[in-house]
Formats: sequence, C-alpha cells, structure tokens
Amino acid sequence: MSLIHIENLCKEFKILNRREGLSGAFRDLFSGDYRIVEAVAGISFDIESGEIVGYIGPNGAGKSTTIKMMTGILKPSSGTLQVNGLVPYDNRIRQAQIMGVVFGQRTQLWWDLPVIESFKILKEIYKVDQKTFKRHMDMFNELVGLNALYSQQVRTLSLGQRMLCDIAASFLHNPQIVFLDEPTIGLDISIKAKIRSLIKMLNSERNTTIILTTHDLGDVEALCQRIIIIDKGKILYDGDIKKVNALFGAYRTLKLQIDGFNESTLQTLKTSLTGRFGSKDGFAIAQTEEFWTDVTFDQARTPLSDVLNFVMTNFAVHDVRIVEIAMEDVVKRVYDGALR
Amino acid sequence: MRSYLALLRGAYMVGLVYRFGFLFSIAGNIIYMSVTYFLWRSIYQNRETLHGLTFDQTYIYVALGSAVFILLKTYVDWQMSFDIREGMVATYLIKPIDLQLYELFTSFGFFLMSFSAITIPTVLLLIFVFHIQIPLGIGLALFPFSLVLAYLLSFCFDYFIGLLGFYTESVWGLSITKEIIVTVLSGALIPLQFFPDAIQKILLWLPFQAIYYTPLTMVAQSTLGWEIFLPMLSVQIFWVIALFTLTRLFYNQAIKVLRISGG
Repeated sequence: MSLIHIENLCKEFKILNRREGLSGAFRDLFSGDYRIVEAVAGISFDIESGEIVGYIGPNGAGKSTTIKMMTGILKPSSGTLQVNGLVPYDNRIRQAQIMGVVFGQRTQLWWDLPVIESFKILKEIYKVDQKTFKRHMDMFNELVGLNALYSQQVRTLSLGQRMLCDIAASFLHNPQIVFLDEPTIGLDISIKAKIRSLIKMLNSERNTTIILTTHDLGDVEALCQRIIIIDKGKILYDGDIKKVNALFGAYRTLKLQIDGFNESTLQTLKTSLTGRFGSKDGFAIAQTEEFWTDVTFDQARTPLSDVLNFVMTNFAVHDVRIVEIAMEDVVKRVYDGALR
Repeated sequence: MRSYLALLRGAYMVGLVYRFGFLFSIAGNIIYMSVTYFLWRSIYQNRETLHGLTFDQTYIYVALGSAVFILLKTYVDWQMSFDIREGMVATYLIKPIDLQLYELFTSFGFFLMSFSAITIPTVLLLIFVFHIQIPLGIGLALFPFSLVLAYLLSFCFDYFIGLLGFYTESVWGLSITKEIIVTVLSGALIPLQFFPDAIQKILLWLPFQAIYYTPLTMVAQSTLGWEIFLPMLSVQIFWVIALFTLTRLFYNQAIKVLRISGG
C-alpha cells in the first residue's frame, strides 16, 4: 500500500461569469451564469514513503488544487484519494497530525512574536514532547543555524530567513509527508541552496516523503528523483527526472551585455564560439531585448565556465546573467511530444 | 486543551506587543467618560432617580459599558474575513485544531490583555477620579463570570459573521449591521430600563441583552441579590450553549463552500 494513492481524481470549480463595468457588476448580483472549470481533470499516481517528488507545471495547471485535496482542505469532485490509507477531507484533524505544509506565499508563523514562540505554540498544537522538541530544535540549529533567529520578531525576518523557519516548523512534529508549495519563490541563490540542503537533509534524516511544487527547475534538479508534470489539470509526464533533464535541464542561456554592440556583434560571436567549441554544440544566439545578447547552449556538452571564460576574454562584456530554461518552455516542449 | 492554551498565551503576547494601542484606548475612554459624566449629570439635574436608577447606578453602567464595549469586541469577524480573502484559512485547516476553538482562544488572549489594560483602569478611574461609589454587593463577585459568558456570546455573533465570509467574501456590511443591532438591543449604550416597557419585554427574550445588560447590571446594581442574578446568569449560560452549538453546526455547512468551491 503506497503512502499516497490517487486514482482518476477530479476537481471542478463553479465560477460566476462576471460582466464588465458597473451595470455588469449589478447584474452579477442576480446572475446565475456560471461556468464549470475543471482544475484537476482525472489524475492518477502513487507516492511511496521517503520519496521526494517534484510536482511541477505552469501557473493555473492544478498543482495547488491537488495539494489542497491531499491536505484535506478541498473535497474532490470525483475519484479516489487516500493518504496513509485514509481519506484526507473526512479525517482532517487526524491527517493534519501526520502532515506538514509550507505555502511559500504565506507563513504559518506568528507575525508579531519572536520566532521561538511560534515553535512553542506548534509544539503544543502537534503535542510534541519536550525531548523530541529539543532534539528537533538542535537539529534545525545544526543544519541552518536557526538559534540566531529565535529571538527575532517574525515580521523583521528577511524572506529567506522566514522561509527557513517555516520549513523547519513544518518538520517539527515529525510528519510522514511534507508539502512544500513554492518554497524558494523570490529567494536569492545562496538562500535557495541553503533551503535545498535543508530539505534534502530533513528527508534523509527522517525518511519523510516530500512533495514539492516549484517554478524553479533548479529545485527539482537538486532534490527530486521523480517528477510529475501537470498542465491544464492533466498529467503530462510522471517518471524519472533524468529523462526530462537530458532534454532540457542541461540547457542554459547566457545573457550578455557587450560594450559597443552593433549589427555585426551577433555574427562575430557566433563565428568565434563555433570556431572555439565546434558547431555540433548548436549555439543559439539571438538578441531578445535591448542591449542583451542571448547565448543558449547545452551545458552537458560544453561546460558553462568554459564558454563564460571565452566570452569574457574575447569580448568587452559589461554584464552577465545566467538563465535556466523556464518551466513554461519545458511544459510546452513536453506538451509538443518531446518525451513520447 | 494545552494546545489551545498555547494559542491563548501567544495572543496575549501579541497584545503586549501592541500595548500602545491600549494606551490610546484608555485615553479615548477617559474622554468618553468625561463627556458622558456631564451629559448624565445634566439629565439627572433636580432628580433623584430615573426609571428607578440613581445617577451613580446609571453612570457606572454607562462608563463601565464603554470599557466593556472595547473588551467584548473580538474582531473575529474582521480577522476571519481577512483570512478567507487572503487564503490564510488554509494554514489553519492544515493544523490538527478546531477552527472555532482556535478563533476563540486567540481572541480570548486579547480579551485578557484588554481586561487588565482597559477595564481595570476604568474601574479605578470611576472610583478615584469621578468619585463614584460602587455598591459592594454579591453582583461584584459574579461580574467576572458574567463578563466571560458575555464574551463567549459576543464571540459567537462575531464568529457567525466570520463564517458568513465563506459565502460573501467581504463581511463589511454584515459586520456593521451586526454591530448596530447588538449595540442597540443589548443595552450597551443605555440601561434596558430606559426602553419602553413593551420593548424591554421583547429584548429580555433575545440573546443580545445577555452581552451587556447582564454583566453591567451586576456592577451598577450589585446589591440586587441572588434571586435576581441567578436567573440572569442561567439565561447567559443557556445562550452560550445554544449559540455555541448553532455556530458549530453552521461551521460544518460554511466550510463546505470552501471545500467545494475553493479557497
């Protein structure tokens, strides 16, 4: 019996068709003009104990709706959903005890109080005994040095610090499953790395099952062995991340701002890059916005550092950005049948 | 139970963080008390009693009423409406706690905070600045119980409005309407004795009077005696049980809106 069992799960929402303008708003008061939106349209999968699963897809794909059903907040329209052998929405309070949830956009910490108070409150809510509490707090401190933050008011924390605390808090009661809904949204690279290692260690320490939704493919690459891609309420791909990685993960776009840019720069760049690294690597060079030149290539074949080095020494580069392939592009390519 | 006490403690601490808000409430209260003092002084000019109440009794009732008014404001309706619109309700629903008790205990933390920061100073002001004689009767001892029961009732109304937020998204209008109805019908502004007889009779059958009239009478006319106070307390207890049960049942309905149409 797997930890999470989902079969043919659907969720429909009834949405009022709103009309335009003031008179429209008045007419809406008495309107019965609803349309049905299928947020989740028949998905099936099983998740085993101890897995880290990346649950990804573009905005509005149905990710959060699925998570809200698994956590017992939303009731499915149809289909089977069992977590640890029980139906979440019928056993909300009991199920809450074995789950931890982090909504990246919201905090479960008490805004006005020092961080440690939230942990103390959660300790009582989840009935964590003193010994376990202390052990977990020591572990959090060891992993990310949380002690330094404990006396700070939550509202004064930076977004990254708050997220570290929120994630630690969701593991406090030793849950079997932790749902992380966009835990790295809006964070800088170093905090992202910290959060990834925290998640990874917590997973291996306790064999906690983790379901991660994110728009950052870097998170998925760093953490998950398995990914599920969802779009328009349907599953596009469910399987090993390596297969997806091989197709998209290794591509990087190098954004360059070159001093004295003119018409011929693009051509010169292309010629010299293919001259240096060979044409088989398929350097795609384009100007996508003013002053910026994009160089997209396969990192697996040509090391990023080599390309960067080469460009920096041979061109008067003013500024550099490294961009990963956007989630939307991945989904679009999967949709177009790239994995079939 | 311990988990809810932890919530209560947390809310009390948040109250301490906002202690300056309480200072302003006290300042505002002093102004209100002064104005009502002179207003009722002039109403009582050349008169010993009005509707059977002496000046002191009326003034204690009205002045304490304004402090109790701040005390019994739970803001649960506003808080819940905000949480529903912002999607914060989800963060409560993923915890092994009961929403009604969660809201009750967190707001009760503020209650304790404002009891110590507003109600007690008001009583001290009444005695030492306005030189009002508070009669020493059995009612004074019952007042704290009655006040807690009144708070539970006030909570039920606010929680009910908060739950309506699942249907309407914004509870602004509902909240204002409730405020007016409760304030007028509960005897928060003037003692019920000042209403016409027929209306008094109707009001005694409604739950509103148990929120303000009951606890305030216990201080203003504290010497009335057991035979009056016991039935009043029983009525309060009856309404607390009834409204608590009703709002619990209503929760089961209201939450379906969220669980079916999304948060």
